[in-house]
Amino acid sequence: MCGIAGVARVEGPPPSAEMLGRMAGVLRHRGPDGYGFYFGRRVGFGHVRLAIIDLECGHQPMATEDGALVITYNGEIYNWLELRDELASLGHRFRTRSDTEVLLEAWRAWGCAALDRLNGQFAFAIHDTRGGTVSLARDRFGVRPLYYAEWPAGLAFASECKALFASGLVGAAPDLAGLDETFTWWAPRAPRTAFAGVRQLEPGSWALWRDGRLTVRRWWTPSYAAAPSEPRDALEQLDGLLRSSVALRLRADVPVGAYLSGGLDSAVTSLLAAHASPYQLRTFSIAFDDSTLDERTHQEVVAREVGSAHTVETAGLADIARVFPEVVRHAETPLVRTAPAPMYLLARRVCEQNIKVVLTGEGSDELFLGYDLFKETVVRRFCLRQPDSTVRPRLFDRLYPYLAHDARGGELWRRFFLEAGSPEDALFSHGPRIKMTSRIKEFYAPEVREALAGIDVAEEWRASLPSEFAYWSDLERAAYLEVSVLLPSYLLASQGDRMAMAHGVEGRYPFLDHRLFAFAASLPECSRLKGLREKDILRRWALDRAPAQVTSRAKQPYRAPDAAAFFGPGAPAWVDDLLAPGTVQGAGLFDTGAVAGLVRRCRAGKVTGFRENQALVAVLSAQSWHDSFIRDPLVPRSLPMSGADVVLYEGGRVAPTLEE
Amino acid sequence: MTEAEARQRIRAYIVENFLYMRPDFVFGDDDSLLRKGVFDSLGVVEVLNFIEETWGFSVPQDDVTEANFGTVAHMARYVAFRGAEAV
Repeated sequence: MCGIAGVARVEGPPPSAEMLGRMAGVLRHRGPDGYGFYFGRRVGFGHVRLAIIDLECGHQPMATEDGALVITYNGEIYNWLELRDELASLGHRFRTRSDTEVLLEAWRAWGCAALDRLNGQFAFAIHDTRGGTVSLARDRFGVRPLYYAEWPAGLAFASECKALFASGLVGAAPDLAGLDETFTWWAPRAPRTAFAGVRQLEPGSWALWRDGRLTVRRWWTPSYAAAPSEPRDALEQLDGLLRSSVALRLRADVPVGAYLSGGLDSAVTSLLAAHASPYQLRTFSIAFDDSTLDERTHQEVVAREVGSAHTVETAGLADIARVFPEVVRHAETPLVRTAPAPMYLLARRVCEQNIKVVLTGEGSDELFLGYDLFKETVVRRFCLRQPDSTVRPRLFDRLYPYLAHDARGGELWRRFFLEAGSPEDALFSHGPRIKMTSRIKEFYAPEVREALAGIDVAEEWRASLPSEFAYWSDLERAAYLEVSVLLPSYLLASQGDRMAMAHGVEGRYPFLDHRLFAFAASLPECSRLKGLREKDILRRWALDRAPAQVTSRAKQPYRAPDAAAFFGPGAPAWVDDLLAPGTVQGAGLFDTGAVAGLVRRCRAGKVTGFRENQALVAVLSAQSWHDSFIRDPLVPRSLPMSGADVVLYEGGRVAPTLEE
Repeated sequence: MTEAEARQRIRAYIVENFLYMRPDFVFGDDDSLLRKGVFDSLGVVEVLNFIEETWGFSVPQDDVTEANFGTVAHMARYVAFRGAEAV
C-alpha cells in the first residue's frame, strides 16, 4: 500500500524532480518505507512505498524489462500468485516476487481486460512509452483513492488531492456542489470532490490519457439479480468464499492484524484470520469513555474467542478534539460526523505497534443488508401502503428503540420517516438521511445559496443511475446507492483509507471481494434481510462459529461524540479561531450570524440534539478544511532524489540513485 | 400559566432554537410549523423536551400529534390544558 502521483504533459518541459518530489513528499504518510521516481519526456511518476510484499525488490515506479510500460501503483492484487503462474505459462518472465510486476505484465498481456482478472484493491497509473499514453485505473469498490486534474496541456493525478496542489499546477478552491453533496449525503459523489477542478476516478473505472484528452470508462459496476430462492448449498458457498477471501487477504510479507468493532462482521473476519494465520493474530479496537457509545465488552468476548493479542484504544472527547484538524486534513473534505477521528486514533495505535496491515469487517452491511437504512426502507414502504394506519408506523419504535425512547415515540416522530420521500423516487431509501443531513444548509452563507440556486445534487444523482436501476427492488436500489456512493465516498475514504493511511496502515476488506459481492447480490432478499433481522445468512453461518453474544446481537451503528468534544473545559484554542466571525466570513461558506448563534448555543451547553450536533461538526470541519487547504496551506517539502530507492528514466534502465 | 404566556414562551423558544440561523423568517402562531419548514417532525421532539422541562409534566406518546403540537397556538393550548388538569 502506497501513495502515487504523476504528471503528464502534451508539450512543454517534462515534470521536474522538484515538482514530483513535492507531490510525493506530501504523501509520505502513505509510504514511509521508501520512495522513487520515473522521468519520461512528457510523463513523470512519483511513488511512496509502504512495503508489504517483496520487501527487497518491490520498489516503484517499476518498468517492464524493455522499458515500454512504467507503473506507479497503490494497492494489492490478492490473486497475484495465480496470475503470475498464468502469465508465466504464457511466456512472461519475472524479476521480482511482487504483485506490482504481475500487474505490469498482466497489463502488457491483456491491456485493460486485465482489470477483470484482478481480485484486489488498487489505484494505479501505467505509462505506455510507445504511444505516450497514461492509463489510470481504480478497483471495483473504490477502496484505494485516485484523484486527478486536467487542463488542455496536461494531466496530474495522485492518491490524495494535497499532492495535486503540491505540484503547483492545480489550485485549491471549494467546489460548492461537492460541498453541497457532503451536506446532503455525507460526501462528494465521484467524480466530484470538495475541490473545484479536482475529480476522482469513479470506482470500477479506468481512464486513458492520449494526446491531452482523458477518456473515462467503467469496467465494473454493481449489479443485482436476486434468485427466487436460496440455493441449497448457499451456506457452503458462503463458507468457501469467506475463507478464500480472508486467506487471500492474509497474503503479505509482514504480519496482518485485524480491527474488532464488537459486531458480527469483524468477528467473522477475525475468526477466519485467526484460523488461517500462521501466527497469533493481533486485534485492535476503539473504545469510548462514553458508555452509550462503548462496545468494549463485546470486543473482548470476540478477542477471547479468537485468541488474539488484543489492544484497545480509548477515545475521549479531548482526544477527538485534539486530532480533528489532522483528521480533516487527511479526509480532504468537510465531515458531518466525528466518526473518522476515532479511526484515526486507532490507526495511530496500530502503527505504534508496528502493524502495517489490518483486516476490517467493512462491506458486510452493504452486501448482506445490515444497515438500519435497509430495514427503514422496508418499514417505510410497508407503512405507505396503508397511509392511514396508526399501527404500522409503530414499527419505527421497534426499529430505533433508542431513538424512539429519546424521542418518546409518538406520531410526529414516526411521521418524519413517512414524509421523507415517495416510493416513486429513485432515492426513496435515502430520503430520511438526505432530509436530516440537509438541515446543515440552513447555515449556508447567502452567496453560497445563490451560487447553488441552479444546482440540484439529488437530481444529478438520480440522472446518473444506470438503466437497470428501474428494474431493481427497493432494497437492491438502496444497496446500490450505498455501494456505489456512500461506501467509496465516505466509509472507505474519510473513515477508511484516509484515516488508516495517515499512519501508514493498510486496511483490507474481505467482504469486498467481488466474488462475495456477486454471491450476495444473487441471494434472495430474505436470505439477507429476514423480516427485520439483518444479515440473516451471515448470522446462520456464524451460529456455531462465533460467540452467541455476537451472533444474536442487533446491529449497532458506529457513532462517536460530536459537539461536546469541542466545547467546555480543555477545548482546543483553534475551535475559537476557526469559528470566529472574521474567519467564518473569510471562508465564505457559512453565514456569520448563523454560526455565531450555533457557537453561542454550544457554549451554553444547549446543543443536545442530532440536528445541531451535526451542523456544528459540518461547520467546524468545513472551516478547518478551508484553513488547511485554502487559507493557510502547508508549504510542501520536496523529497530529494538522493534518498530515492529507485529512479527510472525513459529509454533507460533502473538508475540506482546512489550511483548517480 | 395562561395560554397567552405559554404561547409567548414557546414562540421565543422556537425562534431561539430553530430560527437563529434564519432571523428574517416570519411565521404566525397558527402557521403549521412543519409545513412552513420551521422544523421537521424530529424537531417537535426538541420542543417537547422544552415543554416538559419548563412546565414539569410528561407528554404521553399518544398526545404527540399534529393536533397538539403542529402550531404554536396548539402547543400553548395543550400546555394550558395540562396545566389546568394539574390544578
